[in-house]
Amino acid sequence: MLEYAELTAILPHRHPILQIDRVLEVEPGRRIVAVKAVTGTEPCFAGLTDGLPASAYAFPPALIVESLGQAGAALWVLSARAGGDEPRGTLVFGAARDFRFAGAAYPGDVMRHEVVVESLKPNSAVMRGETWVGDRRIAVVGSMLAVARPESELAAGPTD
Amino acid sequence: MTQVMSDRMNELREVVAEVLEVEPEEITETSHFVDDHDADSLRAIEILARLEKMYKIEIPQTELPRMENLRAVHDVVKQYAGWQD
Repeated sequence: MLEYAELTAILPHRHPILQIDRVLEVEPGRRIVAVKAVTGTEPCFAGLTDGLPASAYAFPPALIVESLGQAGAALWVLSARAGGDEPRGTLVFGAARDFRFAGAAYPGDVMRHEVVVESLKPNSAVMRGETWVGDRRIAVVGSMLAVARPESELAAGPTD
Repeated sequence: MTQVMSDRMNELREVVAEVLEVEPEEITETSHFVDDHDADSLRAIEILARLEKMYKIEIPQTELPRMENLRAVHDVVKQYAGWQD
């Protein structure tokens, strides 16, 4: 199990965009299970007016995918380290495909992300994952691509 | 072109079209992924990853610059999958 403080040594993300709280299980090169607790104090709920329906407090799908993606990023880094290596450069979320949302997470819910490796290379990773709240599966991402890019390339701005 | 080759070419075209988010018929054997279909390096990696999964092969990332159109993709996959025709 990896706690929040340990995650800051694995992921470059920081408050408030570090979107996983704890890693429950990890099998390097294969899979990871990580959780994020959703609260009413999330920045995405700041400033909402009174009297809104419950649906206004559904954790945004884009952030569910971000959170799931960060679980995948942690898996990539931990897998590389288990092999005595480190992804070269900054991890960039490249693409998410075939995603389906079948539910929502609300303040008080704990999202559990299960991410499985499809392919891992020195500078790219493909994974798929699911997000659960208790025994409800709220999201499925069929394919997530991440790449490791050298700092110099990112600083230079977008290229083709 | 043999039937097998033409079937494979269409199969590859479907994969590429899905990743580049264009209609399959827009992709010819020589239309350029970057110049003609607005691909970028992330899309190229995605195409490579899908081909690897689909054909259960390993394609080195050093082949990426070569995979600039459908015909080149076919040649690369042919090489690593050991297709004879």
